[in-house]
Amino acid sequence: MDDSDEALMGRVAHGDERAFRELSRRHVPAMLGLARRILGNAADAEDVAQEAMLRLWRQAPRWQPLAALRTWLSRVVVNLCLDRKRKAPWVELEAAGEITDPAPLAGESAEAAEREQRLTVAIADLPERQRAAIVLSYTEGMSNAQVAEILDTTVSAVETLLVRGKQNLRRALADVIDGE
Amino acid sequence: MNKNDFDKLLSGAMKRLAKPADDAAVDRVLKRLGGPLPRQHRPVGQILGVLLDWQFAPAWPRMAALAASLAFGFAIGISGIDRTIDRSQGVSSADSGALVFEPESLTGGRP
Repeated sequence: MDDSDEALMGRVAHGDERAFRELSRRHVPAMLGLARRILGNAADAEDVAQEAMLRLWRQAPRWQPLAALRTWLSRVVVNLCLDRKRKAPWVELEAAGEITDPAPLAGESAEAAEREQRLTVAIADLPERQRAAIVLSYTEGMSNAQVAEILDTTVSAVETLLVRGKQNLRRALADVIDGE
Repeated sequence: MNKNDFDKLLSGAMKRLAKPADDAAVDRVLKRLGGPLPRQHRPVGQILGVLLDWQFAPAWPRMAALAASLAFGFAIGISGIDRTIDRSQGVSSADSGALVFEPESLTGGRP
């Protein structure tokens, strides 16, 4: 049996709950990670991931395979994150836990580690669309065209968001960067 | 720090922060999704499409049973078996007609 995302969506569109559970198992981890990186709040990220999957279930009969399901879901997650009126506090540095790949940091100086932590906080302070663009571009490794599709805007607008986001980050880290 | 160095710093930091969601959180979300699901939004066009679908698929066994019943009834009528049975029971078509259509003696009304 074809178990591609599109095939499963076809079954979900006919009310197949097993297909929906399979899609959930497949996509919830990534959507949860994306929401967490944009919101910076684990509890809110869980709510967003759940709501995104429920929207997938409800909208399945209307879904048209114009884009990859992953892209569609990412768009829903980003929109849900941006819709949250209150600015969720970025995850505390202690709560962020250990860094996944410690190797690059192992030989670096304490200043470099601190600089990275400052950068993390600065990203949290970015306007939400700039933050979303930077997260999608740098963390998810998406092209500007994909980011534009998810943010429902043009590629040039994404480029502007990225440039402004990076300018804001450089400004926030001016004392650290200029010291080098 | 030039632009390229800053890009490298940003890229490296973001990739290190991109750790996967922890299993407990994933399990919690999946558990919440395991409950009863809401009603799906079906487009109106889809409902109309069902109503306007003229390609009905007949239930062939029922169609065969209906055709067999028709053929059986036609054969009985042609062969006259029913009349034979009526005669054997002492009932004629004239008698039954008189019972049904005879005017009432008092009022002259017909049933």
